Amino acid sequence: MTKYLALPLLIFMGFFLWYGTDNLVLINTDIARNFFQNEGFFDTASLNIVTAIYLDYRLLDTLFEAGILLIAVSGISWIAQHEHIEHNPLFMLDKLKIPELFISLARIVYPIILLFGIYIILNGHLAPGGGFQGGSVIASAILILYYIDLNKKTSINLILNIEKIIYLGFLMIAFISFFTRDSLFTNFIPLEQDPQIRALFLVLLNILIGSKVAIGLTAIFVGFLKEGR
Amino acid sequence: MNDLLAIFFQLMLIAVAIAIIFHQNQFTIIILMSVFSLIVATLYMLNQAPDVAIAEVAINAAIIPLIYVIAISRQRELIVLDTLHHGQNLSIDALQGEVYDFLKQFAKKNRLKINLCCDLTLHEKTLFDDMNIDLIIYQNEDNPSHYILKGKSSNVLLTSLEKAKQSYKNIALEVFKDEVHYD
Repeated sequence: MTKYLALPLLIFMGFFLWYGTDNLVLINTDIARNFFQNEGFFDTASLNIVTAIYLDYRLLDTLFEAGILLIAVSGISWIAQHEHIEHNPLFMLDKLKIPELFISLARIVYPIILLFGIYIILNGHLAPGGGFQGGSVIASAILILYYIDLNKKTSINLILNIEKIIYLGFLMIAFISFFTRDSLFTNFIPLEQDPQIRALFLVLLNILIGSKVAIGLTAIFVGFLKEGR
Repeated sequence: MNDLLAIFFQLMLIAVAIAIIFHQNQFTIIILMSVFSLIVATLYMLNQAPDVAIAEVAINAAIIPLIYVIAISRQRELIVLDTLHHGQNLSIDALQGEVYDFLKQFAKKNRLKINLCCDLTLHEKTLFDDMNIDLIIYQNEDNPSHYILKGKSSNVLLTSLEKAKQSYKNIALEVFKDEVHYD
């Protein structure tokens, strides 16, 4: 029955898509692009317009996005938890033969990946990249460590607590602008300052987002790893 | 030139997607999926979206395959609850009997590994639904040399188990009907 209900729903959604894209000419203008190109650097001190949007113009959206990642990680760790004692928690993983070549290469490549992730985070306001991208690169470097040594012990609760604290710090820094510039969720350093000093706010937020994403993705992986009987 | 490249990559995307659907080996599928997302990242790059391309490469070509490898290697276990040797901590290699020989052969044929546990006494529904147990071994009360294997009806292994047990006369297969959830 539910299968046949899907068809009218599909037609309904398709109609709205068609109806919505019909008047695309009205919004497909140069106004927004010209605004961001001309005013973006002056308003936010960021050369990368994408960073200017997600860390200044639309910081509120970024806050909720980071919150959603936190909720997702908490949900996964809640599903993966179990009260009974694990019979053989690393069952089958001892069978997973990781090639020696992979391990030796991973040991060489690991610091380079880590450095690249840090570079992407710190250069987020100058070049393509930012907190989320750099954080996921760092997370992939950390996951390689688990492949080198599968018996690595990690406590998910500790990871989640660190992530919550970082998220609270993120919220607080986003709030400071209410006291210094009388407007919520923008840069807290006044507009008269030098752009290079104002960019410190972007670097700070990028570091917080990056560490939060890296920790969150690691927590998801550990949740999968510890799934016992 | 860029338009031609974009068309070439889009055609490649279709080919890789079809290969993902029809390939049999799971680990090859994982590699193909990361190839897919690398091509998608190249397309993002051609459309002047380098930020999205970095995120795509890091998440879909590195992290998700790493998670899939762990998840798939976990799927190769067959969790068996033994009610005959309750309370003893044994491995399947130490046990003698027709059922154990049958299970060992079945696992070897399907490249599974048996995780034998003897320490649970719970209701069958909780055993199958919450503890995720695949098979339960019972002894037939009327005839001690006969064994009963019980599995849940939504388990995909049951049909091949039925086929494999035909040469063993002392083993019966029972099906526990569980509710199928449509979510």
